[in-house]
Amino acid sequence: MSFITQIFTLAVFAVFVNNFVLSKFLGLCPYIGVSKKIDSALGMGMAVIFVMTMASTFTWLIQQYLLIPYNLEYLQTIAFILTIASLVQLVEMVIQKTAPSLYKALGVFLPLITTNCAVLGVSILNIQEDYNFLGAILNGLFSGMGFTLVLVLMAGLRERLDKAEVPEAMKGMPIAFVIAGCMALAFLGFSGLNF
Amino acid sequence: MNLWKEFSKGFVKENPVFIMALGLCPTLAVTSSVTNAIGMGLAATFVLTCSNVIISLIKDLIPSKIRIPCFIVVIASFVTIVDLVMNAYTPEVHKSLGLFIPLIVVNCIILGRAEAFASKNKVLPSILDGLGMGLGFTLALVVIGSIREVLGAGQWLGMNVMPLAYIKSPMLVAILAPGAFIIMGLLMGLINIVNKGK
Amino acid sequence: MNYFVKLGLVLLLITAIASGILAFVNGLTSEKIKANKLVAEQEARKEVLSEASRFEKQTVTLPAVETEPNPLKNKVEAGPRQFIYYLGYNDESAIVGYTFVASQYGYSSEVKTMVGVNLDMSIARIKVIEQSETPGLGANAATADFQGRFVDMNQEQLQVDKDGGAIKSLTGATITSRAVTNSIAEGMKILADAMTEEGK
Repeated sequence: MSFITQIFTLAVFAVFVNNFVLSKFLGLCPYIGVSKKIDSALGMGMAVIFVMTMASTFTWLIQQYLLIPYNLEYLQTIAFILTIASLVQLVEMVIQKTAPSLYKALGVFLPLITTNCAVLGVSILNIQEDYNFLGAILNGLFSGMGFTLVLVLMAGLRERLDKAEVPEAMKGMPIAFVIAGCMALAFLGFSGLNF
Repeated sequence: MNLWKEFSKGFVKENPVFIMALGLCPTLAVTSSVTNAIGMGLAATFVLTCSNVIISLIKDLIPSKIRIPCFIVVIASFVTIVDLVMNAYTPEVHKSLGLFIPLIVVNCIILGRAEAFASKNKVLPSILDGLGMGLGFTLALVVIGSIREVLGAGQWLGMNVMPLAYIKSPMLVAILAPGAFIIMGLLMGLINIVNKGK
Repeated sequence: MNYFVKLGLVLLLITAIASGILAFVNGLTSEKIKANKLVAEQEARKEVLSEASRFEKQTVTLPAVETEPNPLKNKVEAGPRQFIYYLGYNDESAIVGYTFVASQYGYSSEVKTMVGVNLDMSIARIKVIEQSETPGLGANAATADFQGRFVDMNQEQLQVDKDGGAIKSLTGATITSRAVTNSIAEGMKILADAMTEEGK
């Protein structure tokens, strides 16, 4: 398979087949919590794409050049989560200084991302799946895009849902879960794709 | 009596999963069988209780500006200990929980309790709070896990509980990803009805 | 500025203590984790070839195959591959069969199977020892029902029914079934070749 095909395959798998939210159950808190409005969903999604790509890059470097050479693999969890936490903080400060308008749009979401398990999840998966540097970055990018896709879709559905007559007890979170289930069913149709 | 309240509030009244909707990722991801649900629940309970103890002990020593990173380091250490110990003594459960053991670090229940409770209270209430919340989490996982395993595989804890004909062709969707979402939604709806009726 | 230095020092101190404790726990458990794997394999070996009481490790060196490298994954070391199998002896020190581990990527994970082979090159028993496939679908490969489908099969029959073989694949998990079946078939072929070579 050529280079381009490999990248395309990785993208399709990360976005559709092994979607982080719907098939791996990662990043559910923001998926349910920040999907009430399309605008905020889009903002959150962009912030997640950005942080996931950055986190993939740095955690891969730390694993390869710090943890493995010194036999410190057992410190992986602690090293990765600290990297992600400081990365998020750093990104927040840089954006605030250099692009105030972007900060206005993404600012509120950034602190939430530290505890988004999708970010730590992608960092660990990159190592487990044995990706190289380029593969890790791309996997972070595409996984983030998959997350954003379903988050925005969900927000669109929930905006319409406000106008629907939902049984009192199912309003809000319960119906959101049922809808997520239906979306997961649809995404299940992508499994078994082969190139 | 007050201490009992700290302990028991996590079971129903402030159940972390059903009422507060925290820790959703592991809740849905590991509940395809009851065994996994119990393993995950106990691992999280251990981490939650231990980190609550340590954090309530050192809360006066850490400057408030860096308390969150400090909490994360404490939590991550206990998670790694659980990870290593489970790998050594219960390799089967460790394997099937896989990625979700390191992800206990970002389970919002644990950081949430550290920030909201342990950093403001003494050691004993913090232990009880951690144990109660952890067991409440375990309870929720076992309830969801039971429903999914019985419907989706006709088994409970690996034992056959449904007629053989059902086990041959069970309601597979319950054990797959979509079933997890739908069952979770329906359970939350049910709890809303029960709470309203009170 | 002094304040920030203090913050950094506190955080550093906590991280250092945490790392120390983890290093200690790691030291306690790492041996056990390694041993677990060996014990589990040994037990699986006994299970798939129950007549044998003692096993002897054998290694076959295979010619290197040119696989196209995946540009997104770490490079796998090229060079001759090794195939490891075990001779099973009974109490009278007579060979009763062979075991080997077959391994192939299934739907979402590497699926490893311990295979016990009779002297006539038919399968005695198999046991899936490592997989994290989809629960309810591919994970059913580890059930007694699926593993029983391999008993007494010979090399020609080792293909899933969709490919024209005799192994009935799992409902909704053809990819996993195929990974198990094909990896076993490949191992059986290498084993058979090694046996004929020895017979010469």
